[in-house]
Amino acid sequence: MLKVTDLQVTVDDQPILKGLDLQVGRGEIHAIMGPNGSGKSSFAHVLAGREGYTVTGGEVLFDGEDLLALDVEQRARKGMFLALQYPVELPGVSTMVFLRESLNAVRAERGEPALDAASFIKLLREKARLVELNPELLKRAVNTGFSGGEKKRSEILQMALLEPKLAVLDETDSGLDIDALRIVADGVNALRSPDRSMILVTHYQRLLDYIEPDFVHVLSGGRIVRTGDKSLALELERRGYAWLDEGEAAA
Amino acid sequence: MNAVLEPVERYRALVDAAAPLLPGAHLDWLVAQRTEALEHFVQTGFPSRKQEAWRYTGLERVLEESWAPQAESVGTLKEADLARFRLSEDACVRLLFVNGRWMPELSSAATEVPVGVQVGGLRAALEEQPEQLVHRLGLAARSRQSSFTALNTALLDDGAWLQVSANTRLEAPIEILYLTVGQERTAIHPRNLLVLEEGAQATVIEHYASLDATPCFTNSLSEVLLGAGARLEHARLQDESAGARHMGNVFIEQGERSYYRGISVNLGGLWSRCEYHNRLQHTGARCDLDGLYVAGDRRLSDVHLEIEHGVPGCDSRQRFKGIVLGRGRAVFDGLIRVQPDAQKTDAHLSNDNLLLSRDAEVDTKPQLEIYADDVKCSHGTTVGQLEPAQVFYLRSRGIAAGVARRMLCLGFATEVLQDCSVTGFTERVQRRLQEHLEDTVVTLNGKEE
Ligand SMILES: Nc1ncnc2c1ncn2[C@@H]1O[C@H](COP(=O)(O)OP(=O)(O)O)[C@@H](O)[C@H]1O
Ligand SMILES: [Mg+2]
Repeated sequence: MLKVTDLQVTVDDQPILKGLDLQVGRGEIHAIMGPNGSGKSSFAHVLAGREGYTVTGGEVLFDGEDLLALDVEQRARKGMFLALQYPVELPGVSTMVFLRESLNAVRAERGEPALDAASFIKLLREKARLVELNPELLKRAVNTGFSGGEKKRSEILQMALLEPKLAVLDETDSGLDIDALRIVADGVNALRSPDRSMILVTHYQRLLDYIEPDFVHVLSGGRIVRTGDKSLALELERRGYAWLDEGEAAA
Repeated sequence: MNAVLEPVERYRALVDAAAPLLPGAHLDWLVAQRTEALEHFVQTGFPSRKQEAWRYTGLERVLEESWAPQAESVGTLKEADLARFRLSEDACVRLLFVNGRWMPELSSAATEVPVGVQVGGLRAALEEQPEQLVHRLGLAARSRQSSFTALNTALLDDGAWLQVSANTRLEAPIEILYLTVGQERTAIHPRNLLVLEEGAQATVIEHYASLDATPCFTNSLSEVLLGAGARLEHARLQDESAGARHMGNVFIEQGERSYYRGISVNLGGLWSRCEYHNRLQHTGARCDLDGLYVAGDRRLSDVHLEIEHGVPGCDSRQRFKGIVLGRGRAVFDGLIRVQPDAQKTDAHLSNDNLLLSRDAEVDTKPQLEIYADDVKCSHGTTVGQLEPAQVFYLRSRGIAAGVARRMLCLGFATEVLQDCSVTGFTERVQRRLQEHLEDTVVTLNGKEE
């Protein structure tokens, strides 16, 4: 599904990713953990195509295709989805119009006809139930005046609507209380499928109690420095990231 | 100097030629107003950029043309031509003006007008019932405000007249459409008089549009008189053709505890300026005015507000947003003046601008002049571009970059439109704005992609 080879990225000439390798197979769930500032969000943004990140080396194949050659919107239409760590508010932009425009753009790429207003609303209500998002919120402007938890749920709702092939969730758990975390995790679990891969970027082990990953990677200093199964996450929780640095130094 | 005087001579000749055709020649009070206005105009001429109120707004585009007085014959218009200009499905009265002239046969019939309401053309009213107008027409308008207001009075001819009697409440809007139809380069000077007596309520839409692309010059002036406790919702949409020149003045006089709620949208025109003047002279009055202006490529859109609090305990809130495209230019000059007696004034003014290209320009000048000490006043202004993070967010959901930018521009505009309760108005403006944006390449931070 995704094959990242020796990815090197700079921001303002500062190296951020320094040779990142990662392979995500179809239907797999990968967790990426790592200390603050290690480049997790940068990696997620580079996958989605955010401007401001300069790829200076390496390659990213998405379903066999050169991902980095595609525009932001083309990536989304081909099934790449990024749930933002900080979802953006769009004052005055109708949530309904936004979601419908988005869904129909993705459907067009898949060769599916645009949904009419009635079927769209039906689908939207169904998906909103999945993430327990108050349908009243859908009448507001996009994310505007939403609480932190509502914003995160709105991201998962969008993922549920767009049915991506690869979802990258950037710290979707941060800032959530335990109930909200459970709701988000249930939503994500409901979207697990043999055709859908996910990358969970997280700071804490907590989320992984709810969503069981197939692999856990540690990103540090712009590279994946350790890969394991979910026991690695537990070990990180116990020993902290400093332990890794010692390991690195020793290696 | 000659460059400034010469058009004055031209206009003077125009007024002289028009004079015999103007209504109410037998009304001394009206003749006096016209004469005084003409004298003022001839003495002062057109403003130059040396005057503060005109510093950013050159008149070249208005004065370069020789505008003919309104043509009497405008050909035949049918209902079908008008359907596309309809804003509000539930309007109780529709008035049509073509090149400044009331078209009773294409307007609502008098019999359809609700009880307690008199509505129609000002010219007809001057001829048939001048006693209704004598102490009202010209009361709010200050002909000496500018050469344009002076000209409007000197050429006072026709426009909309509305009189709502005390405690009469109109639920459905009155929709007034001013259409310019060009055979000539026509100049029109509509004068509107909207009078709501004590406790009356109404909703009025003024809609200025063009049937075709022939340039025209509209110099309109609306007078609003609100009695004690009256409430007016006043929507004004300037959506004339791309070659139009438009000068609009609105003068408001508010009685005690009256409420004026305005929305002013300026979309069309090569050169457009809209002024609101409200002197709050009766306690407890409230004025809310929202606005949107869009200056397209190589166009000028100018908004001037003058809100003066003269007595204690009035509230006013002005919120304007502007979008400037291509090499467009916008001017916003908003003044709130609080006189020494006007304690407990609550007055707020905001102006936000979105520049969609590197060459777009805005001169914004919000001003508070406060001479009282126990007041709550604020003003704020922003000039910005589309947020890259917002554009990215939409694109990351599969939405094409151009569509994403248009959605954000519409969202920006929608924030000032959404509180308008006039049915059909917000949707109309959104649709027209969308069309404007589709015609223009909306670039991100000036970079074309
Ligand atoms: N847009 C940016 N401009 C400048 N520096 C950035 C930008 N994005 C990330 N960085 C820098 O890159 C490094 C990695 O940041 P980030 O990817 O946000 O880490 P993480 O998500 O792991 O906390 C940090 O040093 C951060 O300051
Ligand atoms: Mg991060």
